[in-house]
Amino acid sequence: MRPTTPLLLITVLQGLSGGITMAVAAFSFLLPPASDSVLRNALLLSFAVAVIGGISSFFHMHRPQAGKYILRRLKTSWLSREALTTGLYAMILGVVALGPLVLPVNSWWYWVGGVLASLAALAAMFVTAMLYATIPAMRSWHSPLTVLSMMAVGLSSGGYAMLAVLGLSHLTSPVHRLAIFMLLATIVVAGIKLLQWKLFRDARRSLNAATGTGMPRAPYRIIDTGTTRPPYQTQTQVWPDLPLSLRGGLEAVVGLTMVLLPLGVIVGTLDGSGLGLLTVLGALSFLFGTFVERWLFFGDATHSSKVWFVDQDKVGSRVATNRPSPAFVRRFRNL
Amino acid sequence: MQLTIITDLNKCVGCKSCQVSCKEHNTAGAFGPVPDTDPYRDPDGMWWNRIVGMETGEYPNAGVLYLPKACMHCYDAPCVPVCPTGASYKRQDNGVVLVDYDSCIGCQLCMWACPYGVREFDEEHGVVKKCTMCVDRLEDESLPDYERQPACVQSCPTHARTFGDLDDPESTVSQLVAQRQGFGLLPELGARPAVHYLPRRPAPVVIDENDVLRVMEERY
Repeated sequence: MRPTTPLLLITVLQGLSGGITMAVAAFSFLLPPASDSVLRNALLLSFAVAVIGGISSFFHMHRPQAGKYILRRLKTSWLSREALTTGLYAMILGVVALGPLVLPVNSWWYWVGGVLASLAALAAMFVTAMLYATIPAMRSWHSPLTVLSMMAVGLSSGGYAMLAVLGLSHLTSPVHRLAIFMLLATIVVAGIKLLQWKLFRDARRSLNAATGTGMPRAPYRIIDTGTTRPPYQTQTQVWPDLPLSLRGGLEAVVGLTMVLLPLGVIVGTLDGSGLGLLTVLGALSFLFGTFVERWLFFGDATHSSKVWFVDQDKVGSRVATNRPSPAFVRRFRNL
Repeated sequence: MQLTIITDLNKCVGCKSCQVSCKEHNTAGAFGPVPDTDPYRDPDGMWWNRIVGMETGEYPNAGVLYLPKACMHCYDAPCVPVCPTGASYKRQDNGVVLVDYDSCIGCQLCMWACPYGVREFDEEHGVVKKCTMCVDRLEDESLPDYERQPACVQSCPTHARTFGDLDDPESTVSQLVAQRQGFGLLPELGARPAVHYLPRRPAPVVIDENDVLRVMEERY
């Protein structure tokens, strides 16, 4: 389907904010009490990211004036639930992140607030992922891998951001602890992404014009898609097949920026050299990779209606060909 | 009641008159005009009914098949429960799936949920639009009875399209589906489409007893 900027920003930034909040919750127990300023800064970063994501969600609505009805279908619509859970998360996070600016707080604020905000973040991320995973017509997304992937990538991006916050504060011991965890998380993310790309390939291959009619006189080849053509202006659920080189190139970029570079950064931080700069580089690299990964998630997804829009490889006519027919060759040989 | 349109693929010749009459009626009609920002230069705008042309079989047993594709007005329409505002809804009285433009936020989730790709996004108004089964004609009591049917059905020159109530076992559409093995598209996705197609095969010749007697009298 057509990837749009608001969609990319909402999903990526929600994951990033949720990941940072979870890391704050974990480190509120692990860090010494004197490090409250680090937790406060991380929470403010998380809140700022969530606010940008929230603002971009308004741009995803083409008629925001009807937004007042968005909670009408909580019973059945994951998008309704997403609006509710993400709104609740933003509110809780706002109180937890902005509270220390106006109230005299101590470490328990970060323990309790961090855990509460983390639970809300997990709920919001799960609901957002389920929104995509529960659409049977989106053949590439209709799988538990969608939930796993979105949550793992989101939490990891937040983990790398927290690593950068800790690295800039020169807290060597917490950086080492988080770096080891992120090493494992990155390997898990790489495995999940490989499985998901295989699912995308299978979905792409399983749908073609031959499956579109349910009739026996196969094979079928589209000769007229019904007064439409790429990029399917009014039909945003389909998107022209990505060229092989573009898909491969973007997957390589994801592999480089979400796996190889961050792993190199982790090895560097465990080595103890250039803590601040390296961790920031790792976080930026992973975030860039997340945007590319999410673009591929939307742009490379296969919708079931592709059977009627399919850009299948053209197979040459078996009648009109430049090659001489076998009968002609036999007759020529007999001469 | 579940209103539906049955298309006989044996009779459809791909003339696109249903596609054009749909556009004509719904551009001029009162309910949900189809946008046309640049109709003479850009024919790839919004169409609620599209005719897909397909080449079938392998040479020398090749043929051409035309598949008119509009909203299937599914029994379990997947576009309805995903809509966060309730803008997409299925009418209880006649089974037609409609969009309330006033409460649509234009998120396009229903377009992803529809297995058939028949919902279209109107960028100008920021809402999703689709076939309404010409509900404004069906319920317009000022029209004569023969005109109270969808524009695509009325305009079909080969009478390939039949309109009626699929839930009524005595209706023409129900009997056509039952007798001619009518099928819905992509049944594996579980939407239970109301719109059916009659497969391409020789139609059984229905001979009435009176016809037999008449021919016997004429000839012998």
